[in-house]
Amino acid sequence: MTDGKGMSQWMIDRRSFLKTTGAGILGSSVLRATPFLSFTRDEAEAAAKEGKETVIPTFCDMCGPSQRCGVYAFVKDGRFIKVAGMKEAPTSQGALCAKGHSAPQWVYSRDRLKVPLKRVGEKGEGKFEKITWDEAIGTIASRLKEQKEKHGPETLAILSPAYRTYYPYFLRFLAAHGSPNYCHSGICAMQMMFTFSYTYGINASPEFDKSDLIVYWGSQPIYAGPPLQNAKSFIKAKGRGTKIIAIKPSVEADSGMADIWVPVRPGTDAALALGMIHVVVNEDLIDETFVNQWCYGYDQLKKHIQKYPPEWAEKVSGVPEKQIREVARMYATTKKACISIGNGLEHAHASNDSIRAVCILIAITGHLDREGGNVFPTMGGGGIRTNSLQVKSAHMQEMVDKLIAPEFPRALQPFMFGSHAAYYGALESILTEKPYLLRTVIAPGTQPLVSTRQPKKVVEALKKLDFFVVVDVARTADMDYADVVIPVATSYEIDHPFEGGGISGGGWLMARNRVIEPVGSPKSIFEFFLDLGVAMGYGGQFWNGSIKECMNYQLEPMKMTIDDLRKHPTGIRSEENPKPRYEKYESVFKTPSPRLSGAPYLPQGKVAIYNTTFEKAGFNPLPEWREPPESITGTPELTKRYPLILSDYHTSKVYTSSMQRNVPNLREVIPFPLLHIHPDTASERGIKNDDWIIVESPHGWMKVKAEIYPGIRPDTVMILHGWWQGCKELGFGDFPLFDGGANVNIMYSVDPEKAFDPIITAYASQTLVQVKKAVAT
Amino acid sequence: MSTQYGFSFDSEKCIQCHGCQAACKSWREVEILVNWRRLENIWHGDYPNVTCFSASLACMHCADPPCVEACPEEAIEKRVEDGIVVVDRDKCTGCRACLEACPFDVPQFGRDDKMQKCDLCVNEIDLGRMEQPPCVETCPTGTLRVVRMSRPEKIAAEESMKKLLNIR
Repeated sequence: MTDGKGMSQWMIDRRSFLKTTGAGILGSSVLRATPFLSFTRDEAEAAAKEGKETVIPTFCDMCGPSQRCGVYAFVKDGRFIKVAGMKEAPTSQGALCAKGHSAPQWVYSRDRLKVPLKRVGEKGEGKFEKITWDEAIGTIASRLKEQKEKHGPETLAILSPAYRTYYPYFLRFLAAHGSPNYCHSGICAMQMMFTFSYTYGINASPEFDKSDLIVYWGSQPIYAGPPLQNAKSFIKAKGRGTKIIAIKPSVEADSGMADIWVPVRPGTDAALALGMIHVVVNEDLIDETFVNQWCYGYDQLKKHIQKYPPEWAEKVSGVPEKQIREVARMYATTKKACISIGNGLEHAHASNDSIRAVCILIAITGHLDREGGNVFPTMGGGGIRTNSLQVKSAHMQEMVDKLIAPEFPRALQPFMFGSHAAYYGALESILTEKPYLLRTVIAPGTQPLVSTRQPKKVVEALKKLDFFVVVDVARTADMDYADVVIPVATSYEIDHPFEGGGISGGGWLMARNRVIEPVGSPKSIFEFFLDLGVAMGYGGQFWNGSIKECMNYQLEPMKMTIDDLRKHPTGIRSEENPKPRYEKYESVFKTPSPRLSGAPYLPQGKVAIYNTTFEKAGFNPLPEWREPPESITGTPELTKRYPLILSDYHTSKVYTSSMQRNVPNLREVIPFPLLHIHPDTASERGIKNDDWIIVESPHGWMKVKAEIYPGIRPDTVMILHGWWQGCKELGFGDFPLFDGGANVNIMYSVDPEKAFDPIITAYASQTLVQVKKAVAT
Repeated sequence: MSTQYGFSFDSEKCIQCHGCQAACKSWREVEILVNWRRLENIWHGDYPNVTCFSASLACMHCADPPCVEACPEEAIEKRVEDGIVVVDRDKCTGCRACLEACPFDVPQFGRDDKMQKCDLCVNEIDLGRMEQPPCVETCPTGTLRVVRMSRPEKIAAEESMKKLLNIR
């Protein structure tokens, strides 16, 4: 590894900085000494006044499942022109990333949907006619009423993009309608939540700020998660000398700065984790007291793990046996060590096995709910409490029974949101009509042709589907197949809902303020579901369409109204967070599950190393290794034709999922879909940087550009997912959605036996490919 | 010129979020396909011992700017009072001699084909209301700063950026 200090830039310490600035012509009061902060409200107002602008405090809307950044939005002559970070926001503390700064270009994009549309041509043809809002809502409502009457309410499915502020509205609407089919994407957070819950009783988060060793496992601390907080923790940890280990197939800006890179093959994290458990168990690096008192099934594990020595794990994962031992020992013997599990482990055919194996590793080495380890949340304090929009009626056996394609086994549902359906499974069921035929799919803020597996199948489902409603801010990949298209207002154009500190409340609450009048006549996703609820006759459960009354209901526990909250331009803060308490095993291990029996997650009141709940439901009681649909070790016969492993990145420094390729300032940073390929792998194929290349798997092919990338395994290539949209402002057209485009979902298997995790329906994000130079046409 | 303005950059802290680049574009209303600030990813070592660092780079306002020397129209000037390198766009003919001369590949040419680049938000400085420029303000990790530096410090900053970018 290169000496980091040698690369260190010319740094000045704070004292000399103050001295230099003090000597400057402008005087020390002008060049501020506080680093990395942006505006307070007064500063923002002052800046706006100078430019004859107005400034509105609100939230950024450019990414983020939760924990939004506070921003000051600047408006000149009625136009939203720029954004600054809000110093008062505890989430972002004034920082703002590239996406946040580019918001005005997203709002005014030429791809914006401005009025409701109905399809007038054939599906896929792209012919639409403008309709009024009344007609749009009326058409959807009458179709849903008819289908509910004739075929039952369960024939409606809503695709959920992510854990966003609007998901409770979908759940509420589905519950009112009587459908269980809230279709979760199956790739994010919920997979981890499920596995953690059935192993520990609750999620256990890495306590970055107290750790002496941080393992980022398939996780991206910079661009993923709450806005820049993880990045700050990462930089802070590096600053205090914390050792950093990155386990992932390629190096990015973050893992490039790690102390140790463990270059694992995509999709083989379970094998690597099992190999590490083997080391810890056989070298007796366990916390015996904790294991004896608080773990169930260690003896079975000890026997079971003998199948998975590091030599075996090397063959499967590609990580040298020596490094597996080294990393396992280092983690087990560092007292304050935590593991940050990312989406990399969730996007796998063996997602549950890998997450369980890591959970077991954390527990048996004594890093669970201990300082600097992986800790359970400390309850109490906070002081911010709001009413949930979820309704109890979603939690019914009848709902679980009626699920179109369960995200988790029916025996282990309801889970957190009630009944959970699988996004891909629901779409595929349209083709099989099993167990029944879905009649309407609503896609709010999600694009099934680029956000889930195998677009070639999904498009057939969309063609066959009776009624498809697209609800989005900008043109989507699938809208040509929609019957009705609903234009959505960005959050800069609306004054709701309030947010802050995460969906569950947290320590900050702020009203959202309207920055500009909407471009065209879009409505918010929230208003859409309220209006549709009213039109369906569910008005009583939707505050008769008043979003203000809805927010007042949510705020009741705070004894305030939205108008009261709005009087605090930068929001209200709760008391400081409770001081963390550790080793809360006694209470946490008794946590009741959301199943209707109310049975605890952990029948033995201990960490479920040997999982009797899974065993009873017909699954492996201990984590095991299963080969993915295609892999070097699983299908060696394929490697002659397809010698390389392909996987994709879930997060990007400038794009959110499959959105925002239409934003010029962001598109300039990454103009093309780039396949990361090792220099040796590229040169063997005569491929140079920036060449157009063909990437072919057994399931499809893409035409993308090559980025010669020294920081990737030579046997692996990777690309960012979500590519289809052009950028009109820069003269870039769309990429094809199917073969020959840049949509990585085309490349993967959807073999029901091999491609999906049997318990949590996560799907394989790796396959085998060949890469060659594209012939110039 | 006892001290002059310049950027200090700490690559140990840069997370390559591109916030600085986007803030510059938005706050200075820089036209599309023109970037006064850019980010580079720099690789070191060979697989599997690979590391990478980031560089956030705008005009370095060099101690001895080669672009000033190179410009046949004398359109580029290093200000005596604070060392900021500014372009007189009325004089620029778009010949790109500055681009040839600049070791950091900084000069940009947009729709009007005249040289443009980071001016260190000089108007704000001249109006006496400069705090830190938008690129600095937005940085989540405090990796980028505008500071006043002596001539040797400025030269050291240039050398260090060259070393980071592997420019000889």
